[in-house]
Amino acid sequence: MTRSLHTRTTWTPRSTETAVHALLRAIVEPGFFADGAVQTAAALGGVVAVVAGLIGVFTVIRSQAFAGHALSDIGSAGGSSAYLVGLAPLWGFVGISVLAAAAMERIGVQRARGRDVATGIVLGVGFALASLFLYLGMTYHNGSGEIPTILFGSVFTLSAAELPLVIGLGAVALLVALTLYRPLLLASVSPELAAARGVRVRLVGAAYLLALAITVALCDLTIGAILSTALLVGPAAAALRLTSRPHRAALLAAAISLACTWLGLLLAWDSFYWPPLRHGWPVSFFIVTLVLIVYLAAGALARGRRLRG
Amino acid sequence: MIMRSEIITDIFCPMSVNSIEPVARRSVLALAALAVAITVSACGASGSAARSDSAPGRITAVGAESQYANVISQIGGRYVNATAVMSNPNTDPHSFEASPSVASTVGAAKLIVQNGLGYDSFMNKIEAASPSRSRRVIEVQTLLGLPDSTRNPHLWYDPSTMPKVAAAIVRDLSALAPAHAAYFKANGRRFDATLQPWLRAVASFKRLHAGTPVAVTEPVADYMLQAAGADIRTPWVLQADIMNGVDPAPQDVTLEDNLFKQRRVKVFLYNRQVTNTVTQSFLRLANQDHIPVVGVYETMPAGYSYGSWMLAETRALSAAVTAHRSTNSL
Repeated sequence: MTRSLHTRTTWTPRSTETAVHALLRAIVEPGFFADGAVQTAAALGGVVAVVAGLIGVFTVIRSQAFAGHALSDIGSAGGSSAYLVGLAPLWGFVGISVLAAAAMERIGVQRARGRDVATGIVLGVGFALASLFLYLGMTYHNGSGEIPTILFGSVFTLSAAELPLVIGLGAVALLVALTLYRPLLLASVSPELAAARGVRVRLVGAAYLLALAITVALCDLTIGAILSTALLVGPAAAALRLTSRPHRAALLAAAISLACTWLGLLLAWDSFYWPPLRHGWPVSFFIVTLVLIVYLAAGALARGRRLRG
Repeated sequence: MIMRSEIITDIFCPMSVNSIEPVARRSVLALAALAVAITVSACGASGSAARSDSAPGRITAVGAESQYANVISQIGGRYVNATAVMSNPNTDPHSFEASPSVASTVGAAKLIVQNGLGYDSFMNKIEAASPSRSRRVIEVQTLLGLPDSTRNPHLWYDPSTMPKVAAAIVRDLSALAPAHAAYFKANGRRFDATLQPWLRAVASFKRLHAGTPVAVTEPVADYMLQAAGADIRTPWVLQADIMNGVDPAPQDVTLEDNLFKQRRVKVFLYNRQVTNTVTQSFLRLANQDHIPVVGVYETMPAGYSYGSWMLAETRALSAAVTAHRSTNSL
């Protein structure tokens, strides 16, 4: 009796400790932080998430979500052509996105009337090219898994060697957006007023399109060409539901995007222990689902605030 | 022995649709439809190369993979025209889809040898599309009595497989051309004899090096490794993920990485036919840590017969263990 009491008193704190430990282990499965692939994915995904959140706010303000989506889908042509010639997919993503952005600018993406048509045409050509390059790649290369990688991303298979390039490209995109912050904002909200104030609206728009193309290419790398708009537009749209101030929205979007990416990585890691056992679920699924949840939650929060205020 | 193997190179469906989540499948199929439209027009010229010119009196036969076509021509000799459907070692056989020219070749065949286990399921579709009462189909899976749930489809690496396939080919060819039955039977015996050096090499590996720890990328040579008593340390799920073209879980990748970093394996068997960033990083690690590499193939490489190919793979395995020598490609 004494013995059992004794064991109980000594066991209580320790069992709490083990319970906390077990919970932590259940959430952060052993090895998550120590794993090389996770570290690389967290660093690359983190940089991409921050850039996507910041740039995405302008995309939403400028109502260019469709253009962003088109650029990311076209990225599949870039990724597949890079694979065909044996380059890292990122080069293809960036190259084709910038080219497509230039094409969209030429055809008239800045005029609201021509925008959807121009975007749609370029988008179609992008997919046509992707189908050709993927076919040629699969025929003449001994590869496997390129299609899921290009279309849906595979952040856990990225190499740390890509980090400098990703940071460099992200810096270029952010630099463009920061340099043009005021004129870009004015041109986005009211092009007429901006033009009257002497802002070269078309030039600013073109420079922004370049930043967008780079950002989209970076998103292609982490969550794939088909899903990359989710990371670009989702966090920004959620942030703009919560605040109307652009710089606050940009920071909030970056934070949301980063949180969704990192939590997505963690869930993907944990899913290794879910059914079907030992098959991790795709990271992109988690990231995009989390983005949707945050977007819906932001909507509910904003509605609640309106009702109260 | 005359071997007429017309190589069909126009492989036109680039995607292994099974390996992608259903959500993705629709968009992939849309891409595939575009790819078909483009390649059907682009590959018209090469498609005609697959036309089977059946010399009079010869039995037209098809092997879904070049190794089966090779066995057919070794047994059928001068009375059989054997064609291989998949014979390009530079592409992934798992993502092969048949083109119209393949369909006409298969449709005309009197004897077909195919692997089964979903490895060449396009053959069933073509056969169903051109029904023939006189055609004989040897499906190796059925011949060996394997259930559909059999995980590893690379049956030809199993030393016990091909003698049974050869016996079935002898039987079917004899039924198709009873006049040459004795000739086919003699060739069947000769074929079995050509496998002896390989079987001896496998047995001697098992005697000398049973339990040797090895790492692989895909289950390509697993049956041979098991027959040779090797201990395959790569988790099955990782092998299956790479085979099916899906991203392996980072946990499994780390496990495989550690097999190299901690030198827990003596040999790394690397599928030359299917590579991606993950398998390439394994190859880099193996080279860094001086673990000998053996390149393996799913489709018989040029310049080999089935027996000499298998012997070369097993010898490469022995050389890796005994002399620490890599055989990157055959």
